[in-house]
Amino acid sequence: MKRDESLLGNIDWGLFIVFLVMVFMGVANVYSAAFNPKHPELFDFSQKYGKQIMWVGISMFLGLLVFLIDASIYRKFAIPIYLFCLVLLVIVLFMPSVNGAHAWLGIGSLGIQPAEFAKIGTAIALASYVNSINVKQQNVNTVIIANIILLFPMILILLQPDAGTFVVFTGFLFVMYREGITYDPIVLHLVNLIPGVRFKSTWVGSHFIPILFVVVFLSITTLLMSNNTIHFFLIPGVDIPGFFGVIGALFFMGLATYVILRFFASKRERNRITMIVIIGFFLCSLISSIVNFGFQGLKKHQKDRIELFLGLREDPDGEDYNRNRAMAAVGSGGFFGKGYGNASVASVESNHVPESETDFIFCPLAEEWGFFGSFTLICLFMFMLFRIIQIAERQKSRFNRVYAYCVAMILFYHFAVNIGMDIGFAPVIGIPLPFFSYGGSSMMSFSVMMFVLLKLDSQRGDVLG
Amino acid sequence: MNTDARRYVIIVFFLLVGSIYAIRLFYMQVIDESWTLRAQEIAEKRQQITPPRGVFFDRRGKKIVANKTYFNLMMCEAKMKEKFDTNAFAKLIGWTPMKVKSRFWEIKLGEGKYKNPHTGKTTSNYQKIRSYPFVKEMSMEEMANIAPYLQNFPGFYEEITSMRSYPYANAANILGYLSEVNGEEVKEDRFYRAGDNIGRAGLERFYEKELRGVKGIHYIVTSALNNAIEPYANGKYDTIAKQGPALHLGVDIVLQAYGEKLMKNKRGCIVAIEPSTGEVLALVSAPTFDPNLFVGKRSISKNYSKLITDPSKPLYPRPLSAEYPPGSTFKLIQALTALQEGVIKPSTGFPCTKSMVGCHNHPHARNVAEAVQYSCNPYFYYTVKKIIQQGKRKKVTQDAPIGLAKWTKYMKSFGFGVKLETDITGIRPGLIPDPAYYDKWYGHNAWAFSTIRSNSIGQGEVKATPLQLANLAAILANRGWFITPHFVKSIGSQGPLPIYRKKHYTMIHREHFDPVIEGMRKVVNEKGGTGSQARIKDIIVCGKTGTVQNPQGKDHSVFIAFAPMYQPKIAIAVFIENAGFGGTWAAPIANLMMEKYLKKKITDKEKEEHILESDLD
Repeated sequence: MKRDESLLGNIDWGLFIVFLVMVFMGVANVYSAAFNPKHPELFDFSQKYGKQIMWVGISMFLGLLVFLIDASIYRKFAIPIYLFCLVLLVIVLFMPSVNGAHAWLGIGSLGIQPAEFAKIGTAIALASYVNSINVKQQNVNTVIIANIILLFPMILILLQPDAGTFVVFTGFLFVMYREGITYDPIVLHLVNLIPGVRFKSTWVGSHFIPILFVVVFLSITTLLMSNNTIHFFLIPGVDIPGFFGVIGALFFMGLATYVILRFFASKRERNRITMIVIIGFFLCSLISSIVNFGFQGLKKHQKDRIELFLGLREDPDGEDYNRNRAMAAVGSGGFFGKGYGNASVASVESNHVPESETDFIFCPLAEEWGFFGSFTLICLFMFMLFRIIQIAERQKSRFNRVYAYCVAMILFYHFAVNIGMDIGFAPVIGIPLPFFSYGGSSMMSFSVMMFVLLKLDSQRGDVLG
Repeated sequence: MNTDARRYVIIVFFLLVGSIYAIRLFYMQVIDESWTLRAQEIAEKRQQITPPRGVFFDRRGKKIVANKTYFNLMMCEAKMKEKFDTNAFAKLIGWTPMKVKSRFWEIKLGEGKYKNPHTGKTTSNYQKIRSYPFVKEMSMEEMANIAPYLQNFPGFYEEITSMRSYPYANAANILGYLSEVNGEEVKEDRFYRAGDNIGRAGLERFYEKELRGVKGIHYIVTSALNNAIEPYANGKYDTIAKQGPALHLGVDIVLQAYGEKLMKNKRGCIVAIEPSTGEVLALVSAPTFDPNLFVGKRSISKNYSKLITDPSKPLYPRPLSAEYPPGSTFKLIQALTALQEGVIKPSTGFPCTKSMVGCHNHPHARNVAEAVQYSCNPYFYYTVKKIIQQGKRKKVTQDAPIGLAKWTKYMKSFGFGVKLETDITGIRPGLIPDPAYYDKWYGHNAWAFSTIRSNSIGQGEVKATPLQLANLAAILANRGWFITPHFVKSIGSQGPLPIYRKKHYTMIHREHFDPVIEGMRKVVNEKGGTGSQARIKDIIVCGKTGTVQNPQGKDHSVFIAFAPMYQPKIAIAVFIENAGFGGTWAAPIANLMMEKYLKKKITDKEKEEHILESDLD
């Protein structure tokens, strides 16, 4: 295939435009969320919106650099890039702490957060490693090495401490799962120690990661709901215990999956699907029940500790202050919102929602644009994620594909956790919403991550897999 | 191993989270209202703007209740200097430093405490960032003296409030007063907030809903520190405070003031009514008090206990609440009832026998008019006996209940024994006994007219309020009907309420009034009449005296009258406690009131002076 010499020749316009739209919306939203009536100019660099525009400018410049450099550099220099990130993560631990975390390199608001860039470095390193091995030869060693690549930055980040970014790194496990690097060899190794057992593969081992996440997700949802009484919104005045709500939701989800899959599946597969859905439903219900009744059976101080971690305490002005304010801001948006610049709970002057321009940036958006705005945002993210998966799957190079999946998983984690904590579905752990939250490090790292992906994709023709 | 299909696990995972979030957001933002309410609780504060209350005008358009601007000295601790100079501040507001300090504590403790049910911690409701009134209700002059120096005490500032002021120091018992709402009232009516004023008595209380107006609401966005940041939605949802409509009273404040002057050092009441409209012209309760004593928390707390413990009961609305035996004034309706029942004719005469009831010395009454003129007790004893004992049953004890039941109906048609629907609080019904009443006392069929005969001359069990007696005078003036006495001619410009337009007819036909009114004319204008003191030059006054026997002390002096005889303009009842014969005290006071109202001047200066100087208290 002839190589296109033009700079933007093979760029994926769909992804690039949705990226630009998000950046634009992000700046507009920061302008509202951090608006200072004394400095109303958008380009006032003493204000957060002015700075954010500066960060966008720098990010675009970095993007230009990425496009000028040949994509093969990432594969070639994967290990130096990874090590450089690790060195930065070590150095940052010796920097003075800001807000109780050693996360910042440099001074004040002009500093950068190495953890944000470590995601890219780790993604490249993982891609490079997975590219170098033969999947069919996957064994205990390959699994361990892949995990070690993740483990180093994760431990260093946990030392800062930065629980949010730590959680994001678990997204890489899904990428490994997609590539067939699973915990199956380890499980097999352990299972086959039993005399007389000789498995070639185990289902649990292969699908360990999605199963683990279903269990964790289900457990957290059950815990969040177990103390609640859901007002079932289709029938006013009907209260059902939260636990039954979870079971009910599971049932409907199972039913929906069954109907949809049956519609697409061939006759031969239908029975299998029916079996999977029924078994899945009962397993999920079982897990949910164990968590629910296990939790109810705990002693008070144990319960308290878990509730505290999940931000579940019914103390809207105390421990649960942030979440309660954030949810009030989101929930009061209505269908079309209160209008741009009219947020009353999440506005910067009122300061009811803390960090409304960084970690809680979704609050002013949801309050000012209502369901209309929030739904648009979800659709944009969904479009972006599916586009990235589409891009990933069309790569010939395994390096490119792994990197693209890493980008998708990182974005998804940030999206899910950040918005999840504003709607009561995730514990309050501070991680930015990509392209929306104010901050130089996150803006630059997400942009560079995106540009590298676009560059890799634009050169997908000249790299042989 | 082909792992391409695993992409679907990830896609499904993304889709699942995306759709769950979308559904959740739809539920939170569009369906579930509770988060909107929570947001309002957090960020939107309603500032209530209390409008000034409606004012009062008298029948001639004089403003008798106005609003005056006052100031509250507000305090906000968060804005105060760290080193607050208590002594200098105390000097400025004219307090002792000790009082300033204790006021701080009073405010803090007054806010109460909040116990967090989750943590068990107790915290004070007092907040440093909130403003509290440090000194309430300072006059313009008081504030003017300290305002220039307030800049030395950051955290203190003035706030405008409005309070009542009374250009005439009269009619306190009609107007009522305002004081702060209590906790129960706040709970009952969401209009009020702690610190608001509410009408406590009289018209202020009766017309509370009209006078208070409509509160304005100013929505503001508040910060986490509870400071107002900006009007919410640029004031789109704000409502403007609306002052309550003015009340136009039928009261003539000049007449009212004159009545109160006449009643100085006396106990009793004057009630004057315009017969054609039912409007109350004056309603004097003596002793009374200056309504300006009850303006603002400070003066109420200073004066209330003094007035409430006064043995002469200045706060007791005598004309409305005091139930006295009506005495001889009651004879008028006995004559009317007997004529209507046909048991006597206008020309019927009875000799003054003094056998059953006592009487004073006078010629025998040859007809109804003379009976009224002489106020002959035996005449009315025989008359009422004929009403009660009409011979429908053989036994008198079986006959009396039938007669009495009929009689009770007649009395009630005059507004006796029922609560008049006058627009003021404190109205009492008086008492008209019915058969059941005596059955309870004496037993069924165990009583007859002879048992209850005192009622025929307005003693015994019957009781009436001075307002009811004035209404009786109005009925006589109108020859048979009345409009419920009322104070408010018009709320704003809407005219009287429908119930004050309705004529209530008594059970007496028009033609029976003439002989009785002729008698009333004789009472005042002819020799041998008991009310000659009420005579006015050039105006025919019709009246009736009464002397109410008082087992506790000296008799009460009563007089009811109307004038002029044709097209009457004023009907009046005067009741003077412990003053003796009705003609001596009540009649001249009624005379002065009527002359003042009809002629705007007093011809008999000597009489006026005599009344003003008399001390019957």
